[in-house]
Amino acid sequence: MAKHDKLLREANEETLRYITRRHFLLDCVTGLGAAALGSLLTGCGSSVKPVDFSADPMAPRAPHFPGRAKSVIYLHMAGAPSQLELFDYKPELQKLHNQLCPPSLLEGKKFAFIRGVPKMLGPQAIFSQHGESRAWVSDHLPHFATMADEVSFLKAVQTDQFNHGPAQLLMQTGNARLGRPSIGSWVTYGLGTENSNLPGFVVLTSGGKTPDAGKSVWGSGFLPSVYQGVQCRTKGDPVLFLTDPDGMNRDLRKQSIEAINDINRQEYENFGDPETVARIAQYELAYKMQISVPDVMDISKEPAYIHELYGTQPGKESFANNCLLARKLVEKGVRFVQLYDWGWDSHGTDENLAIDYGFRNKCREIDRPVAALLKDLKQRGLLDETLVIWGGEFGRTPMQENRDGKDMPYLGRDHHVEAFTMWMAGAGIKKGFSWGETDEIGYAAVKGKVAINDIHATILQQLGFDHEKLIYQFQGRPFRLTDVGGHVITPILA
Amino acid sequence: MKILAASGNWNLFIGRIHPLIVHLPIGILIIAFVLALLSRSSKRSGLRAALPLLLLAAALSAIASCAAGYLLSLDGGYDEQLLNTHLWLGIGVAVSSTLLYLLTVLNKLPRLQLPLFVVLLLLVSAAGHYGGSLTHGDDYLTQAMPPALQAFAGQQKAADNAPAYTNIADARLYEDLIAPVLSSRCYGCHNAQKLKGGLRLESVALIRKGGEHGPVMKDSLPEESELFKRLVLPDNDEHRMPPKGKPQLSPREVELLYWWIAQGAPTGKTVKELKPNTRIQLVLEAMTPGKALDHNEFVPEATSSSPDKKAIAALATKGVKVLPVAASSPYVSVSCVNAPGFSDADMALLHPLRAQLIWLDLSGTRITDAALPGIAQLSALTRLELKHTGIKGAAGTSLAACQELRYLNMSGTACSSAFLAGLGKNKKLRQLYLYQANTDAPTLRQLQQQLPKLAIDTGGYQLEKLASDTIIYKKKVV
Ligand code: HEC
Repeated sequence: MAKHDKLLREANEETLRYITRRHFLLDCVTGLGAAALGSLLTGCGSSVKPVDFSADPMAPRAPHFPGRAKSVIYLHMAGAPSQLELFDYKPELQKLHNQLCPPSLLEGKKFAFIRGVPKMLGPQAIFSQHGESRAWVSDHLPHFATMADEVSFLKAVQTDQFNHGPAQLLMQTGNARLGRPSIGSWVTYGLGTENSNLPGFVVLTSGGKTPDAGKSVWGSGFLPSVYQGVQCRTKGDPVLFLTDPDGMNRDLRKQSIEAINDINRQEYENFGDPETVARIAQYELAYKMQISVPDVMDISKEPAYIHELYGTQPGKESFANNCLLARKLVEKGVRFVQLYDWGWDSHGTDENLAIDYGFRNKCREIDRPVAALLKDLKQRGLLDETLVIWGGEFGRTPMQENRDGKDMPYLGRDHHVEAFTMWMAGAGIKKGFSWGETDEIGYAAVKGKVAINDIHATILQQLGFDHEKLIYQFQGRPFRLTDVGGHVITPILA
Repeated sequence: MKILAASGNWNLFIGRIHPLIVHLPIGILIIAFVLALLSRSSKRSGLRAALPLLLLAAALSAIASCAAGYLLSLDGGYDEQLLNTHLWLGIGVAVSSTLLYLLTVLNKLPRLQLPLFVVLLLLVSAAGHYGGSLTHGDDYLTQAMPPALQAFAGQQKAADNAPAYTNIADARLYEDLIAPVLSSRCYGCHNAQKLKGGLRLESVALIRKGGEHGPVMKDSLPEESELFKRLVLPDNDEHRMPPKGKPQLSPREVELLYWWIAQGAPTGKTVKELKPNTRIQLVLEAMTPGKALDHNEFVPEATSSSPDKKAIAALATKGVKVLPVAASSPYVSVSCVNAPGFSDADMALLHPLRAQLIWLDLSGTRITDAALPGIAQLSALTRLELKHTGIKGAAGTSLAACQELRYLNMSGTACSSAFLAGLGKNKKLRQLYLYQANTDAPTLRQLQQQLPKLAIDTGGYQLEKLASDTIIYKKKVV
């Protein structure tokens, strides 16, 4: 690598400048200790295969068994939409409207904001049955209702986290605490990605804010960082820091990336840190993405009737635009597209977060795009191989929120962990089906309960993985997305 | 603490200490055995003095374990046969360790000491093994065995458990589906000896007799039958059956039981005769033997030779990725997402893979009609994507030779009506996508008649414009 000798020497000298006599002595001691420890521990890490940096960590790989899904589109409604105004129809709850909540529902229970004895809140929507499956969908989602025969509802999903951050982490990483890889990271770790010019795991956000749990919900945790989600934006540069700085052309860019990668390879030969391989792959991908991403992220070239179908307006940040993008990305072979739409936390504290106002507006914003996405995937023959998932991080209480024991200015519902609705569609999921039931007021799950890691097990199952075997060795123990739980929800599999 | 509360009692409490103290005699006996061995050499004969005390401790703890174990077994829910074996082995340990203690203290029959030790250790191991099987299930060890060892241990379980029917429709609802569930999950506590709640469940007549609170089953009314209601109580309800901590029924088994009661608890009737509704049909389908979770109709059941490595490498140089459809499958999928330049001339590269190639995606490549004869030779194909290619389906071309084809995507092509009509020969075709393609109605109607199971999707969907699309909900400001 003669051409980089000068660079290397510079880097070395730079490092040396920071090493003082104290550092040197410290290194001698800890270095010896570490060397001794390392030789003691050799047995522990032996199951980890050495990384071959000539191999692309994102190269497509075969799953355990032939999968039904090639890609996943996950629509996460951050803040947690009310199942009682959308899918879980409870006429009995209407009869209890405005009555005090019976103590049996409150004893020994903890709520995020409800204090004392709240009143019951009847469904604030008109429900009717749709399609051949006679699925209950409220009038808040008139367009989605036409697609009811395409999806499997899960009406009794349960979580154990009643705050947004931990609940989102649990939903997206399988654990309520920070540090685990997200579903998309596991999936790209397991399957790689088909299109070598695009990231395997793309994240699109709308609603003005990122989820409460921050970017860790698409982080790669202890997996190599190539597997983390790449956030793309619909406004401005699709990916931040991707365009060349002023005065740097594409040739110069290419040369500098090659130089950096050569040095990184030497670094890897010296230290064998897999993160270095990740970094090399990221530089290469970033270079390719400079051309491919702006192209695929540009929805302005879509025909007018597609814009009409989705209700998209190019150049805006919107859930509709993200749905259209999700379809485009999946069509181009992106493995996992994660959408987050913020603004579903309908406590009733203000108009935007009111069940009778802001919530209905949110419903309108997603209704057409979601229906359009399903229709568009279907007509392109993509729904057959794309798993679409919709849901929040928990549900909402059948009681009206009474924050700090006071009446609220607007109608609202508190966070509810015991039962909420999600749905899945496409890729070998049953069409027009519903699994799980709640009691007559929608408070508790009674039949067909589904835990979060059951959802994860099912996602992996449809991609061709035995969720108990997709593992990663870390800190001396094997980790999986479903941790020590998870059952595939077989009733919803076609 | 509510030790004496309704759900617990002294018997059960002491019983549950059993798993804790059973390990004492095991450990003590092993130490005693080692000491006894060592003390045979004259250098270490002093160790002999420790034996009486150790053996006394072993005998006492073994007796205590037996007592606690017996109390635990009263709680029920265990496999009778296993339980009996475990019980007698445990008593054997207690008796022989007491015997050994007496012999040692009285210094009688010193020659019998070692043989008795060996017998004792064998008894302990056996009792331990059956105890483990009781709590963890008798396949606890074998399940975790590496396959090689399993073959060695001669796993016959699968065959033993194989259902007596091959087609679920011919299974008898009570005899083949309900009774086995009750037997594995309920008989343990509701039999002639146990009679928990005054109830026996071993036959329909006994079920009808009911328990101490009267009938447990109301004919055709599962929601009002204790027999069903108790299965769906919250996990920690004290009346839940099987009680908390015992192996539970699967959701499917609960559905089946519900259906059985709703049908009036028939016996000797097959599923077919009872005309399952769609919901139960789904449950039953999932229980059909042989329908494995990894079943995929796009993958042939027969196996094939492994694919040609050279052909795979040659395709890789063109940017075409060949990938097994599953880690251990010989069948491959080929995708040209990264090879938009793939053209008719490259088709020959696919031929060596014709026995294994089942999923082919040529979307967006430069292929034309000239590639069709080549595609037609890929006779194993089950999925074929030709989206946005120059395929026109000129006269004389057809895919009739691809008899396994189930999925065909011709979206965005100008395929001819004659070509589409020719698809009528692909008897297994189930999905055909023609979005932005030729959608000549008479041809498609004819094709649909020929292949009634085929779903033809011509796309072009729109969503209605609704008044509600533009309403913005706002509080009226007065
Ligand atoms: C671990 C032991 C155990 C198992 C296993 C068990 N039961 Fe029970 N069962 C009991 C006890 C103890 C009672 C009495 C206390 C009560 O009513 O809860 C009872 C009572 C009942 C009763 C009420 C009888 C009456 O008239 O009061 C019904 C019905 C019942 N069980 C059904 C079942 C079914 C069905 C199963 C299997 C799915 C089952 N049980 C499994 C211990 C068990």
